[in-house]
Amino acid sequence: MSHSSPETNADISNAEAMTSMPSRFGNAWTALIPIAIGIAIAMLLHFLLPSPQKNYYVKVAQITGIVIVLAVSLNIVNGMTGQFSIGHAGFMTLGGYMSATITYYGSMLLWGSTAKHGGFLGSGEWLFAASCLAGGLFAAVAGYVVGLPSLRLRGDYLAIVTLGFGEIIRVVLQQTAKVIEDPDVLANAGVAELVPPPLGGSLGFSGIPKYTSLFWVYAILTATLVVAWRLKSSSIGRAMISVREDEIAAQAMGVNIARKKVMAFVIAAFFAGIGGGLFAHSTGAVSPKDAGFQQSFDFVIMTVLGGRGSISGVTIAAILLTVLPELLRDFEQYRLIIYALLLVIMMLVRPQGLLGIHEIWDLWPRRRATVPAPTATSSVASLPTPSQELK
Amino acid sequence: MRNTPAATPTATGRPAISSETLLNIDAIGISFGGLKAVQEFSLQLPAAGLFGLIGPNGAGKTTVFNLLTGVYQPDCGEIHLASRRLSRRKPHEITAAGIARTFQNIRLFPDLSVLDNVRLAGQLHNQHGLLSTLLRTRSHRREEQVLQEKAFDLLQVFELQDRAYELASNLSYGHQRKLEIVRALATNPKVLLLDEPAAGLNPREKKLLAHSIQQIRDRFQVAVLLIEHDMPLVMEICESIIVLDHGVTICKGTPREVQNDDRVIAAYLGSGLTDD
Repeated sequence: MSHSSPETNADISNAEAMTSMPSRFGNAWTALIPIAIGIAIAMLLHFLLPSPQKNYYVKVAQITGIVIVLAVSLNIVNGMTGQFSIGHAGFMTLGGYMSATITYYGSMLLWGSTAKHGGFLGSGEWLFAASCLAGGLFAAVAGYVVGLPSLRLRGDYLAIVTLGFGEIIRVVLQQTAKVIEDPDVLANAGVAELVPPPLGGSLGFSGIPKYTSLFWVYAILTATLVVAWRLKSSSIGRAMISVREDEIAAQAMGVNIARKKVMAFVIAAFFAGIGGGLFAHSTGAVSPKDAGFQQSFDFVIMTVLGGRGSISGVTIAAILLTVLPELLRDFEQYRLIIYALLLVIMMLVRPQGLLGIHEIWDLWPRRRATVPAPTATSSVASLPTPSQELK
Repeated sequence: MRNTPAATPTATGRPAISSETLLNIDAIGISFGGLKAVQEFSLQLPAAGLFGLIGPNGAGKTTVFNLLTGVYQPDCGEIHLASRRLSRRKPHEITAAGIARTFQNIRLFPDLSVLDNVRLAGQLHNQHGLLSTLLRTRSHRREEQVLQEKAFDLLQVFELQDRAYELASNLSYGHQRKLEIVRALATNPKVLLLDEPAAGLNPREKKLLAHSIQQIRDRFQVAVLLIEHDMPLVMEICESIIVLDHGVTICKGTPREVQNDDRVIAAYLGSGLTDD
């Protein structure tokens, strides 16, 4: 490149950027390529592996996928934005109930029965997908409401609010009425039958059609991971991390910290709600006690164990903490002791989590141009040092 | 080169200062309980001016900065930046309007890289929405590219470009202080508030700092308000100095005037026998 003058250089590099960018990245649709690949892999898994209902290992793989969705989404709030939420299971349960209501009563109204309807990607599965989305949106609204106190509360105090949220969800769900099992009753139901909503009360909502399959779990997992990574590596993610690092400095650098906190809560709750929908349709039942803090705590442990804000770290932790208890089934009675011991050792040996703030690919040395090639825009010289003054 | 607009110093070695007031602080005050931390603080800072704010420990200097940047809301008084009212605005709005600061006790984002510290500050003026972020639209990628280039330019000016991918917490103390200034400049401010930038630096680094503060003012055309305990540094570079004691402005003037003011001497050294 000839350095004739800065202006012409600027023109050249701009022109280069204009022409090379579409060919390299194309339009926004190509941004969906990672998700398309994920869906393809999910489809392969779905057709190559036996059904989770028949094979224990496949079932574990399916549950692991859902747990990763929940842990990675919680990581947006706890790991990236640094807010301490222990109400994630509350969002999950809200989404689960919402989607269960839609598929259960929806199929009853549409097809007169709550059994699975249609095959792979049939009408029943699309109803299920829509219901998961609705569950996610419903949880996101709740996430907005729960996110608001985070603007005034910090640390332990916020933790208590989110804990309280989960418990409120649990208690409210316990007050619901019995599930309507007869389509005729539902068709003729009046206000008396629908208030309080028939969601099963403290016994839980059971009989949900089991639509969740490896395909849906891994397709949604891909979407979750892509969203989490794109957030983290963008200006929004940087702003979220700056809130975690130092709120006062973040504000002083122009970050609207209130907005970022609420945004983190809403996004995390959205994916938790979808994860809840997947859970509900995998076991066929949801129960108010799922919203309790014990379940939330499992997810918190995964984010702590994985490392603050590390998407790959939290994914690994979620896999470990889902698969490990299954492997330890032979030592049934010692399981919790081993589990707790592992956590204690972990906190003593590696308190920053498995990967700390890094991602797994940071472990491999990477070639990086420390200084970008001299372009027209970087035609600045450093401040002259007053070397003569020092003498 | 384009970025050296102030390369024409006047005979005195300093560029001509426009008399137009950029930052107008009109009698702001704040009390914490019964303590009047700052009272009736007024200041007219011209564009590209370099003013000093000094006073003994606890005089309220940093409180003035916190009032200016919206960390505290003033009980009374008004702040205007080029006729735009800034009092009772949120901190991020004030930063967007053009006031950036550094912190007395370094407040970098320790677990972000040096580059990300600067990019975070630089992204203030072109924030894209959630959807374009998630879809990685072309405009989003281009803005990230521009942001990165600008950040590198700025790091290059301060010779930090080789440390760009290191974590901010791994920098030496002197480099961290420097990065604080780089980060503040990345917000593209009109007014730069420096809170004790020389604290903890050795004499050589102080000398360099004094020089670079003047350079920054000239090159980036920012007005600088400087809190500093290092008197030789303040006296050397500031055009005008405000002295605070117990929240009250006790003196305003040129370095020479301030140095010879009885009340300033009394505030720093005590007023001797007459005090009792």
